Amino acid sequence: MLKRFALALLVFPLTSGCAVNRATATVTPGADPGAARTFFVVQPSTDSRGVGKLVTDNLVKRGFSATAGPGVPQPSKVDAVITYVDRWMWDITMYMVELTVTMRNPQNNFPIASGNSYHTSLSRKSPEEMVDEVLTNIFNAKK
Amino acid sequence: MKSQIRQPVYRGRFSFRFLVSCACVAVLGGCATPTTYEGMIPTAFRTAKKHPQTVGVSVNGGKETDSTGKPQISDATFTQALTESITKSQTFSKVIQASGADYLLTVTLFGMEQPSFGLSFTVKLEAGWTLKRVSNSQTVWQESIKSEFTATTSDAFAAVTRLRLATEGAARNNISAGLARISELNL
Repeated sequence: MLKRFALALLVFPLTSGCAVNRATATVTPGADPGAARTFFVVQPSTDSRGVGKLVTDNLVKRGFSATAGPGVPQPSKVDAVITYVDRWMWDITMYMVELTVTMRNPQNNFPIASGNSYHTSLSRKSPEEMVDEVLTNIFNAKK
Repeated sequence: MKSQIRQPVYRGRFSFRFLVSCACVAVLGGCATPTTYEGMIPTAFRTAKKHPQTVGVSVNGGKETDSTGKPQISDATFTQALTESITKSQTFSKVIQASGADYLLTVTLFGMEQPSFGLSFTVKLEAGWTLKRVSNSQTVWQESIKSEFTATTSDAFAAVTRLRLATEGAARNNISAGLARISELNL
């Protein structure tokens, strides 16, 4: 038992980094994410958990016009394109450990703003709460 | 008979010491160290043109490293790496930190993806590069540059060091690609 515990202690720093809870947002100097009214959320084919729909619903709840779909073709008449990367972990149940949402210029795909939330198991949030936290931070970020 | 009695006592002490050592390794080996600017400077540059103008550098979107978290790239570290890379590659004639430069290069660090577990760590970084002519505030070039770097156990055995090396590598590749694109511009 002691040997197994010692082995686990040894293997841990060799295979893992530390974790921390954080919620941040970055805005390109001179850009105003609040100026966009219509959004297109790019849903990757690997999104089996419906995160794209959560992002779209949250934007609609904020009073914006938002649609979702695969990256190609993108609708031409939108103010911003939204991309996201979600990471999940297992601890008793699966939970979303990290979400990064990036708002992009639809003409050249250049990032206008980006938000990131990272919450480990003990302070885990629901996917809806993660989406809301990231989007709130993006829209409240200092320009 | 004596040896039979002493043997378990010896093994018990050894196990306890071994456990304490393992705990120390786990604690000391699990803390993040900040990225260094030296690790982000490319060793070679693909420079198409060397611009005779001067440039100012501004970096934002970076984060300070929390000792209990993952290695991050701070604005100051990336600025220093970018400044030295421009000087080394001679992409511009000089980097001027105060106002008065011919061009202003702004780099915004977005969406760094870092793994938590594994033997090979691949870090992905996206940075928004904008080059403006200071005289008329015109944007002459703007591009999102994505880069990545994989560090393996041959680079570093401890995970935190491996993750730092992968992070520095992703930043190094981003700087290399960004400066290569700028050197292709007609300014």
